[in-house]
Amino acid sequence: MRLDALARLVRLSLARERKGAFFSSFGVAMGVGALVFFVGLGLGVGAVIREKIFPTDARLVDVVPPAVSLGSLLGGGTLDAPTVERLRALPGVEAAYRKMNVRVPAVTRYDGVFFGTRLRMGMEVLALGVEPALVRGDVQLGEFQDAGEGQPIPALVSTRLLELYNKTFAPARKLPQLSANMLVGFGFPVEFNRSYVAAASASGPSRPGQAQVVGASDRALLAGITIPLDAAVRLNRAFGVDAENYSGVTLVATDPSQVPVIVAAVKGMGLEIDDQERRMAENSGAAVALTTSALALLSLLICLLAAVNIAHALSASVRARAREIGVMQAVGASRADIRAIVLAEAAVVGLAGGAAGTTAALLLSLGVNRLAAGYLPDFPFKPDSFFSFPWPVVVGGVVLGLVAALAGAYFPSRRAAATDPARTLAG
Amino acid sequence: MIQARDVVKTYVDGDGTQVRVLDGVSLDVAEGEFVAVVGSSGSGKSTLLHLLGGLDVDYRGDLRVGGVTLRGLGDKALARFRNTHVGFVFQSFHLIPNLSAVENVLLPSHFGAAPPDARARAEALLERVGLGTKKDRAPVRLSGGERQRVAIARALFGKPRLLLCDEPTGNLDAATGTGVIALFQELHREGLTVLCVTHEERMSAVAGRVLRLKDGQLVEERAGLQVATGGST
Ligand SMILES: Nc1ncnc2c1ncn2[C@@H]1O[C@H](COP(=O)(O)OP(=O)(O)OP(=O)(O)O)[C@@H](O)[C@H]1O
Ligand SMILES: [Mg+2]
Repeated sequence: MRLDALARLVRLSLARERKGAFFSSFGVAMGVGALVFFVGLGLGVGAVIREKIFPTDARLVDVVPPAVSLGSLLGGGTLDAPTVERLRALPGVEAAYRKMNVRVPAVTRYDGVFFGTRLRMGMEVLALGVEPALVRGDVQLGEFQDAGEGQPIPALVSTRLLELYNKTFAPARKLPQLSANMLVGFGFPVEFNRSYVAAASASGPSRPGQAQVVGASDRALLAGITIPLDAAVRLNRAFGVDAENYSGVTLVATDPSQVPVIVAAVKGMGLEIDDQERRMAENSGAAVALTTSALALLSLLICLLAAVNIAHALSASVRARAREIGVMQAVGASRADIRAIVLAEAAVVGLAGGAAGTTAALLLSLGVNRLAAGYLPDFPFKPDSFFSFPWPVVVGGVVLGLVAALAGAYFPSRRAAATDPARTLAG
Repeated sequence: MIQARDVVKTYVDGDGTQVRVLDGVSLDVAEGEFVAVVGSSGSGKSTLLHLLGGLDVDYRGDLRVGGVTLRGLGDKALARFRNTHVGFVFQSFHLIPNLSAVENVLLPSHFGAAPPDARARAEALLERVGLGTKKDRAPVRLSGGERQRVAIARALFGKPRLLLCDEPTGNLDAATGTGVIALFQELHREGLTVLCVTHEERMSAVAGRVLRLKDGQLVEERAGLQVATGGST
């Protein structure tokens, strides 16, 4: 059967069954719309988790010394300079960045004007020294290096800390909102070898110092400040604590696919991988995926109902048109032709429903985003869009509509093809 | 044109008993004949017509129509046979209600190779049956006789050499029926072979030969004047 003839006959019967076709299409649109909406929401929220809340770079591997140092018995397990060199030489490793904690406690005490508000506070700070190259892109002020005893230490703050501060702490305490740009240049006192926590009380004299914010970074320590590695080494040396072994090494793989090989090699050296962040990202990602899957399943169920509805409607229509089908057979329609006509009708209904449902989901997501922007209070990591619609989801929605309709048309089309013309035409 | 040999058709009744409607029917119709088939209601006339036209393939015996052996034809080949070799005309017209007259005539073109001049051809056929001015009318706006003329035009669309008619005047009043009978006569005169199931005296009167279907058998009621082949048994 030629396509133009098929199109004409399909148009003919759809025009007559306009109402039924509309409701069939509507059912498909509901199912497809719900599915596209929920999948888009799941992907969108998943992306926020991956990119904003737990931004993990797929190429980075964080190496730490083992918590229980069995390795040291075997001559490994510490991160000294030769070990770092061996790590750097591993196949698939592009670069290795050393990190060292300042191994004495530190506190900051602030008493002064803080962006227009008077602020008095004191708190424990952790300081982590990192190689400048690891955070180079995020430094906005000066060179990220130790200027020596008595000079302010350049410090990076965590972008996530900033987000948490802005969305929860600042509003609660009526403190101003801060951006990384505003903070750059801000100086504050840090007193090393001093603690408010009795158990952590340090021995020996404390040493006052000054830190200066030079930027914000994803790679910065969440609860603390990130300073140049040489500053951390200098401070540790000054307090007579370990200044030789590193607290961690961040390896950059030449390619994400190299990561498993690198991880295996690192473990073989008696070292461990700090994948807490990655795990949290994976866990919350899994939770979102699970919720999305449940909702998607529900939507698929709606699609199934739509298919059943189409089966019903088409069965009735085929029964009502038995005589017409007989006439078509008498003038030369084969059973395959009759089948094609019914399937094509369903295909049009399904494609229309799939396209309408997908469009509705896209529009609804725009509406939800706008409502969220206007009416939801600000919370940390609140995204501009809660949705993500990659093209396979959009195309898949339309295709699903088609598939559901064709599935529903399967039996009616067979029944139509089995019409006995001799019986319907007699008399 | 038609050679039927020992055709047997049985229906299974609702209660499972077998009803033998055609019990060894043999029939020869030569090219260009006008044959009327008569018989009481339920004698199997429509059944025979459907078998000859390839609408029913469940039978025993041999059927050869227009040079085509029907047994063994697949769904597609059989559809093609109906599209090009035979034209059906039914008692209740069987037009498609939401298609105009000319679109009804064009219906066969959807299932076969459509000639490039399909529409012109359909319009010419309507002209031929006297409906040139009503070609765009919906069937409901045509009289019974006009509807049957549209149906005849549709049956002629595929240029068949055999017309199979099942009581074509059965739903028409006498005057209208006369017009339709005249049309069949005309078509026959132009060389078309016509096999017509009818109750109508006037129709059998114009036929060259009249056969009666009785107790599952075909018997010659009035032999033709110019029967070329052996005729029925
Ligand atoms: N599909 C069927 N199933 C069972 N029996 C059938 C079927 N079709 C026809 N019959 C029976 O076969 C017999 C012949 O039917 P057919 O329609 O050929 O008769 P007919 O001669 O055309 O009658 P009429 O003049 O009333 O149109 C009838 O007894 C009818 O009941
Ligand atoms: Mg009959």
